[in-house]
Amino acid sequence: MPRVKDHMPVLIMGGLLIIYGLIVKTGILLPMMKYLHTHKAMDLQMTLTLIVGGIVIVGALINSVKEPGNSILDRFFLQPLGGIVLILVMAMAIRWYLEPLVKIMSDSLQPLLGFNVYKVLNLNYVVLGILAGVLLTNTWGIPKFAEAGVKCARFVLKMGVIMLGARYSFAELAKLGVYSVWLVGFFVLGTVFLVLWLGNIFKQPKSMTGVLSAGMGVCGVSATVAVAPVVKAKSAEMAYTIGTILSFGIICMFVFPTIGHMAGMNPVQFGAWAGTGILNSAQVAAAALAFNAVDIKTLKVAEIFNITRVLFLPIIVLVLATWFGKESGQKLSFKSVVIDKFPIFILGFLLLFGMSSVGMFSPPSHYKGQYIDVSYNDRTQVTSEEWETLKKAMAAGEFSALNPEQLAAVENLIEQRQIAGNYAERNDGKVFDRVGRARMAELEGVLAAAKAKELTLSSDVKSGIKHAIKQVHKKSKTIVTLTDFMIWFFAFGLIGLGMQITKKAITQAGGWPIVMGVIAGITKAALSFFVVLWLVKDVVLN
Amino acid sequence: MAGHVSAMVFLVSQKVSLFMFKHLLLCTHGTEGAQKAEAFVFKQLTADPNLKVSVLTILDEDWRMMTGDDWLNSSKTHTAFLDHVEAQVSEEIAEEWQRIRDTYPAAAQAVFLQRTGAIAETITRVAEKLHCDLIAIGPYQKSKGLFIHGEKGLRARIKNDTLHPLLPCPLLIAP
Repeated sequence: MPRVKDHMPVLIMGGLLIIYGLIVKTGILLPMMKYLHTHKAMDLQMTLTLIVGGIVIVGALINSVKEPGNSILDRFFLQPLGGIVLILVMAMAIRWYLEPLVKIMSDSLQPLLGFNVYKVLNLNYVVLGILAGVLLTNTWGIPKFAEAGVKCARFVLKMGVIMLGARYSFAELAKLGVYSVWLVGFFVLGTVFLVLWLGNIFKQPKSMTGVLSAGMGVCGVSATVAVAPVVKAKSAEMAYTIGTILSFGIICMFVFPTIGHMAGMNPVQFGAWAGTGILNSAQVAAAALAFNAVDIKTLKVAEIFNITRVLFLPIIVLVLATWFGKESGQKLSFKSVVIDKFPIFILGFLLLFGMSSVGMFSPPSHYKGQYIDVSYNDRTQVTSEEWETLKKAMAAGEFSALNPEQLAAVENLIEQRQIAGNYAERNDGKVFDRVGRARMAELEGVLAAAKAKELTLSSDVKSGIKHAIKQVHKKSKTIVTLTDFMIWFFAFGLIGLGMQITKKAITQAGGWPIVMGVIAGITKAALSFFVVLWLVKDVVLN
Repeated sequence: MAGHVSAMVFLVSQKVSLFMFKHLLLCTHGTEGAQKAEAFVFKQLTADPNLKVSVLTILDEDWRMMTGDDWLNSSKTHTAFLDHVEAQVSEEIAEEWQRIRDTYPAAAQAVFLQRTGAIAETITRVAEKLHCDLIAIGPYQKSKGLFIHGEKGLRARIKNDTLHPLLPCPLLIAP
């Protein structure tokens, strides 16, 4: 094994993962896991660490004996292995240990500070992952053995978006598509023209305003990278623009979710706002997951807006190329400007959406892998404690503020101990199902009214109703697995991208780009906030 | 720190004649500090006809990290961006060299070199390769922060703790 020394760090990490998996298997860590509230993921921790550890050791051993090559196995597995395992270990440590610890510490510090650090800064595993990536790269630096693998983050994030395609319905995509085309179209073009106008006012060169307008208007650093060669941007203009966008983006990643929570935005509203107002596309995904990392509603909306922005990129490149080329006499081909800039991964997203829509992952009657089963079933009943709580609340008049339909739904839930149709109609499947679904919709309305503070319900009552609804919501195993993978892909991708944000890049912020960027960025964020609150009201997601 | 080193070298330079050096590597990227080094070398040191001067300008390898967290573009777009950066920075470096030649007649005899890499490592590698016996750089300049007129290229500083352990020959910091 001539190169075993070179791959020692990877072998050690693989070994540690296997040892950890074996320790978890013995159950020694169970009390600590219970303290951290991660015991439900005990099986996952064991399986994942044993499998990943095994694969890593095999890969590192192959690397130790095999000459580096250019095959698919080499490029996509053997060479990036070190970086992949480093990011995975970080993701596991953050998800299973750091985030729960931050949560516990925030709860303990709340009486002292007067606010919950975890909630205010949205320090979930995604945000912590990005911060850990940024911290690592700007302190010790990315270890040499991990350099190639860290670059995989871009590919992995694209895979996450492709997988997300399986979670949309035609109705969602159509509705969100309309919103996003209008909002993104307005704000992309509006910001591009605002920056070009500001450039004119401040008498800045066209190359600078061109590159800044794309970055501020479309999708941040990605647009800057795509447009800089087209408008022949000078080195300082590129450096200042990228620095400004990165700094602004990182601030947005923390500020947006906090403002979103304070303003009481729903997932659709926040996803639309983040997807429109945040400059950098990676930070849109991060902010969406920071707003809500438990379910993926916000991410679904934000990514549609992200994709729409990316689809605008070739158009903006074409517009700026024409605008810049007119003066410089430079001629650019349609292929080099539009075809080469088209984000191919969007085709993958649409493919997964199409495959899911024709029922390849779950039966066509299911709604994106989820279906509602309101038939009689012991397993869909609420627990005895919940049933008692609901009964007592009804007797105490806690439901007096409900409308007659909602009240009837709650009464029926207490009567049947589950959400279902009428017993007498059980032989007519369609009617039975329709009545059951209508009751579920009424109960969802009760929870929504409680959330909007239109009525007051105790947390136990809300929890009971929530559980009753959850019991009849079934999920396809394929879709659940795909979603779990997707969340890990996003976490992996965002940690890896965090590792590519250097202090040096951020501190390039300055010059006229920071003046014009701050004016355009704040205007875009503030205007889109009000427009989203005003326009995006109905929730189409399920 | 830079101030101390500068003073120290000056004390040395008064006792040990600078005429003892044969090949000087002047590192410049056209900033205010670097221009002080250019002036010091071409006005005061080139009186020695035996002193050969090589002017080194480095294309900072950290440009590769300036794509930041961009994940949307293809590798083709990334390559096009980095090619553009290289061409653009090379053009700006050529302008700087022309300015040096126009400002200092003595610079006509100098050899101009452009290299890509990490700053400290590249300076010492080139000095070793060319068998330079003296390296000259500009003094520490106070950061301009978000100064509105800006400068060319990436804002970067030479770090003493990175450069000093690698030095193959004496380092002169121009006042």
